[in-house]
Amino acid sequence: MLAEKIPYPTFLASLSPFFASLRPIAPSALTLAAGLVIWKLASLFFLPVFFPGPDMLARRIIEIYSQPSNYVVVAETLSRIFEGFLISMLIGTTLGLSMGLKRSIEIFFDSWIMVLLSFPAICWAFLSVLWFGISQTAPVFTIVLVVFPFVAMNIWAGTKAVESDLIAMGKVYRANRFLLLRSVLIPQLMPYIFSSLRTALSLSWKIALVGEAFGVGNGVGQQLINWFQDGRVDMMLAWGVGFMILMVLIDLFILRRWERCVFAWRSRIAT
Amino acid sequence: MTRIWSRKGQVRRQSAYLPPTPQTNRRLPGFPRQGPKPGRTASSAITVDGLIKRYSEPASQAEFIVLSDISLTIGEGEFASIVGPSGCGKSTLLNIIAGIESYEGGVVAIHPNAVVGGAGPNIGYVFQTPRLLDWLTVEKNIHFVLEAQNVPRSRWPELVATNLAMVGLAGQERNYPRNLSGGMQQRVAIARALAIEPDILLMDEPFSHLDAITARKLRFDLVDVLQRAGPTILFVTHDLAEAVFLSDKIYMMSTKPARIFKRVRIDIPRPRQPEDEHIVELEKTLMREFFSVVEAKD
Repeated sequence: MLAEKIPYPTFLASLSPFFASLRPIAPSALTLAAGLVIWKLASLFFLPVFFPGPDMLARRIIEIYSQPSNYVVVAETLSRIFEGFLISMLIGTTLGLSMGLKRSIEIFFDSWIMVLLSFPAICWAFLSVLWFGISQTAPVFTIVLVVFPFVAMNIWAGTKAVESDLIAMGKVYRANRFLLLRSVLIPQLMPYIFSSLRTALSLSWKIALVGEAFGVGNGVGQQLINWFQDGRVDMMLAWGVGFMILMVLIDLFILRRWERCVFAWRSRIAT
Repeated sequence: MTRIWSRKGQVRRQSAYLPPTPQTNRRLPGFPRQGPKPGRTASSAITVDGLIKRYSEPASQAEFIVLSDISLTIGEGEFASIVGPSGCGKSTLLNIIAGIESYEGGVVAIHPNAVVGGAGPNIGYVFQTPRLLDWLTVEKNIHFVLEAQNVPRSRWPELVATNLAMVGLAGQERNYPRNLSGGMQQRVAIARALAIEPDILLMDEPFSHLDAITARKLRFDLVDVLQRAGPTILFVTHDLAEAVFLSDKIYMMSTKPARIFKRVRIDIPRPRQPEDEHIVELEKTLMREFFSVVEAKD
């Protein structure tokens, strides 16, 4: 009678409160575990340097991050990413906003944004090396040119969704443009700004590695190229995955928290 | 489409400012309204004369008349209503008076009798929907209009407290609009309009989105609140009963083209009750008149 038709997780949960607390994350944890097992099994058929298993990869990542000299490498790349990311956000937001607000600017930049969006990133990477040489500027330039059109387009789309009723309210009360921008327009654009931040950050780091691989001589991108020339897939993956984890952590612990604060008004309960 | 940068469709109001009158003309909070106000001349606050508003459709190049030859005079401190069927251009008229829509002919004049320093009249506007800034607390929503009107910061706490108390929302300063009911949000909108100490208060069917019970309660409160704050009010509604209950004067509008076909003065003494037989009687008479005009057209 007991446990007759209780599904598996529920059955486990009935055994102890520890399992009960796991229930919400159980399905995704299970698929993740299954994936790791399949990966491990597949890796047994290959050389570890050609196709490493998850345990091997984890060991390599720990190796990389336990070497202090590698922090300099990561810091170099991070500084480029943030430089490019900030400049793109600044240019993109300003341009997107002005396109939404002023018809003439919209008409002028409309097709240019499309051109920039369609231009291959790899071309920018080569061009920036030719123009700026081996320098800090080259990868940042590449990031900015690839990322800012995305941001501009996103913010521009956001301005189309602004409630004109609220703008009319502001005008009736004779709010000046600055006040309208600060209290009415920007808050309505916040969802778009945050989605731009996310996209910009993830794009920036991908482009940064490409830029570095082509011509800087240091940074994570350079490490990837070096290990590529040695044919070490395990080390390439370790650098890539290790850096990815870092970016995910930045997203989780900085961007998401900030977002929660900004949108507190949506779910705020009376105090 | 939002273009806060463009100047199109902005104020084309011909102002006819009268010389500022002494400060004593300003009503003090808590000062009850009884008959003609002391120290007040019988001057008009809003004059609209022969107003014409046309819309042109770019596609068909057709032009249709939204408002044709609208004239009204609203005395200072008066509560005037415009009653008409939906879509007769009542809201357009209010927007023109508020200065956010252009017009093609006639004169719209606002006489800011009580304005000192010639800063132009203060206009409060209560819309059909609350139109609150959801991301700001109730208090900050009021701060927004105070900042817009350049009210000195030192006066903000007092103005917020007085006006929230007046609409029965004291203690909700730090709450967000989303946590309030529809009726409470509309009260915040009323408090916001009153906070700028308006010379003129425009109200566009402010209770039409609320349920009957909440609307009735708010109407009573409105009468009470306005007796204390007492600006000139232009109230737009499609509800005759509401208009008769609240107003000193009613303008009745018909559609196609929108024009005013009757002006009624309501001398029923206050405080009034919506069930009062004079009010019900008057409403019936006016309703019949409405139908006769509408049917004559169809």
